[in-house]
Amino acid sequence: MLEILIVGAVSSAIYAMLAVGFTLIFGVARILNLAHGTFYALGAYGAYFFTSHLKLPLLAAALLAVGLVALFGIAVERVLIRPMRKSQLATLMITLAVALVVEQVLFLTFGSEYRNVPAFVDAKFTIGGVDVGGARLLALGVGVALIAALWLFIQRTRLGSAILAISQDPVAAQYMGIPSERIFAVVMGISAALAAAAGVLAGPFLTVQPTMWLLPIVKAFAIVVVGGLGSIPGSIVAALMLGYAETIVGYLVSSSWTEIVSVLATLLTLVLRPAGIFGRRAAF
Amino acid sequence: MFRKPIDLAGAAAFVAVMAALPLVFTGNYLIGVLTVSVIYGIWAVTWDFMSGLTGRENFGHSLFIGVGAYTAGFMNTSFGLPGWWSLPAAMAMATLFALAIGLPTLRLKGPYFALAMLSGAAIMQRLMLIFWEHTGGEEGINGLVPLIRSQLGFYYFALAALVAITALLLALARSRWGLVLRAIRGDEAACQASGINATFYKIAALVISAAFAGVGGAMYAHYQLQVSPQLFAVVTSITIITMVYVGGMASIYGPVGGAILLVLLTELLRNFGEWRLMIYSCTLILILFFLPNGLIAPAWRRLKAAMGRGE
Repeated sequence: MLEILIVGAVSSAIYAMLAVGFTLIFGVARILNLAHGTFYALGAYGAYFFTSHLKLPLLAAALLAVGLVALFGIAVERVLIRPMRKSQLATLMITLAVALVVEQVLFLTFGSEYRNVPAFVDAKFTIGGVDVGGARLLALGVGVALIAALWLFIQRTRLGSAILAISQDPVAAQYMGIPSERIFAVVMGISAALAAAAGVLAGPFLTVQPTMWLLPIVKAFAIVVVGGLGSIPGSIVAALMLGYAETIVGYLVSSSWTEIVSVLATLLTLVLRPAGIFGRRAAF
Repeated sequence: MFRKPIDLAGAAAFVAVMAALPLVFTGNYLIGVLTVSVIYGIWAVTWDFMSGLTGRENFGHSLFIGVGAYTAGFMNTSFGLPGWWSLPAAMAMATLFALAIGLPTLRLKGPYFALAMLSGAAIMQRLMLIFWEHTGGEEGINGLVPLIRSQLGFYYFALAALVAITALLLALARSRWGLVLRAIRGDEAACQASGINATFYKIAALVISAAFAGVGGAMYAHYQLQVSPQLFAVVTSITIITMVYVGGMASIYGPVGGAILLVLLTELLRNFGEWRLMIYSCTLILILFFLPNGLIAPAWRRLKAAMGRGE
């Protein structure tokens, strides 16, 4: 029972880190970013490359990876997405093409075998008789901290209120003199950095290989549909629901069936309550 | 169906060239490449019928292809049914999957359909690996029986299927049906306001597209004599989408040319083996930026215009 509670919390935290960024860039800039999973993969590969090839200490490697992925996200937004933003389909196409190009680059440079990302903590902790890997607990802690920090940033800073304003009414926000193009770049950077952080933290205990971008996109999509497209509280709640639902199915039925949970949740939500549990747009 | 005799002449010339190629340049290698290009043509034209006409992009066409191929695999090996049963069975299964995804997502506005198709294909690929006891896992299903023993015979069968499917879809696209589908791409709200059940048309278009893609999948399975989870991969869908974009969206005949052109060109780039998918993805990005109308359909239109002036 306690095991379900802890394991579920860890996967929920990683899902939340992925889904919050995915929904944030959609809620603010209306960009559905299929390259979001790519940022996650690049975070994990970045940490792997900087530690094993450049022999950097892990913390420096992790921060460098997250920072570079954030810059990459901003560059993708600037160069590829911005000219296409008027058409949602073109945005989807271009981000999917970016995801595939990066997958191929990773495949050609690192090959298809699994890579090991070192963990910050190798120790195992025992909580109430349950063994939990330190890396998992760290992922949980850092995930919660990062999302809380994002919440504070959006609620308390000037830049945060500008982001919130654009998500509520882009036209009115522009009339108030908010430079929306620049805000989009900032949000893209934040969203990419969150995904990369998830990749760095989950790297040690999940598989790191070139196609790892795909499943996170599927999960993030399911979470965002269940929580309501564009709503961050909704995606946090939905991340908890999906994380726990998968863990419970894994323990009670069989781990083979966990992958079906997200698709079933997506289709059921779309049939029963297409706007998601938190309605259409509630940003934060 | 053909607005001008010149279209008919162009189509006839295309079929004649495709039919004559293996007779002029003999060899099983060329027949194999041509067969694959023709099957990709079927997939591209079915993708274009749904997504090109209605503007609802389908990022998981590989779902229908894989379902068709695995249906063929199970029918042929597990149940030991003759190969020809695979085609209707694949059609039926692909239709079921199209309804399962189309019914909940196509009645909604927004990107739900595009993403649900992507998710559906990704999850099916995972499931084929997870339930490896039944599906053969990474290896897939082997030992399918060929539909037609002679390789040249099968190529002509595939070419005939491509011509028939393209003719049918072109006829549909140029009928009232196609007009409704194009109108949905233009302004869905206006369609609904004028009493057209847009959701029904979108779902019907998806079902038609999926059914023929499934048939293509079954044909591919009986050509390769095996099926693998790789059929469900996103790269399959992206390859097809690139072919449609190269051919020219919503023209129906363009994607056929795009598919054949790209398959033949990548055979020439065989030495770049590993770079093939990279080339596809980069081509797609370049086309999106610089040639949003594609290559083949606009080229054909320009050729026709030039010939018209010459007369």
